[in-house]
Amino acid sequence: MKFDIGILQMAQNLAVHASARQSVIAQNIANADTPGYKARDMATFADSFRETAYMRASSSPVRAGHIALGTERSGGDIFESAEFGAESPNGNTVSLEDQLVRAADVKYQHDLALGIYSKSMNILRTGMGRIR
Amino acid sequence: MGDLLSTMASSVSGMSAQAARLRLVSENIANADTPGYRRKLVPFEQIVDGAGAVRTGAVHLDTSSLERVYEPSHPMAGPDGYYESSNVNLMIEIADAREAQRSYEANLRMFDQARQMTSSLLELLRR
Repeated sequence: MKFDIGILQMAQNLAVHASARQSVIAQNIANADTPGYKARDMATFADSFRETAYMRASSSPVRAGHIALGTERSGGDIFESAEFGAESPNGNTVSLEDQLVRAADVKYQHDLALGIYSKSMNILRTGMGRIR
Repeated sequence: MGDLLSTMASSVSGMSAQAARLRLVSENIANADTPGYRRKLVPFEQIVDGAGAVRTGAVHLDTSSLERVYEPSHPMAGPDGYYESSNVNLMIEIADAREAQRSYEANLRMFDQARQMTSSLLELLRR
């Protein structure tokens, strides 16, 4: 069963985005000492959400795999980026500190999504006449 | 959920790779005074087809020259009084071990975070 309630779906998409991004960060950390590995990341939820909203407004089709309010799967684009830090002599661009900061950010977003979801459900339940 | 589980798989692969590296470092340090010992090295490789995990490649030996030590009374000393010791540099091994430990901890941190996120996700079902 799928609830067609905007805030619940947005919370769900935020949680999915956070866990997908966390997976990318975990891969970066696992490969922190692999020669020639380039650090990767995904666009932040806010960025892809804004882009999708803009695309919707201009009535052009949403790009596949992009995060939209209504889409089931929100994978986002994974891109390689060398701007994270200095490249080590073996060609690796992963900076552990940078990745841990990103991981903390992702954790915060996931907690936020779950918090919003459960609070919204509480409001719904209260509206149905049952408190908790 | 699937992403969280693949996070854990990546972190586990990272931890096992770092543990293998740490094991080789300890072998090298244990054999620092073994005559003719060459230090072991292991390369890290990215598993491309899987979830971006890491694995260790084949162990190979450092081919740099062995240290020559002057000790005529040593059983393995040649006619000139020198024998070939190992090519282990303790400073390099300690630095390598510290780096492996740091990376291991980062992987462990990621694993723990994924576990926390999974349990808070499952917490939604409890109410």
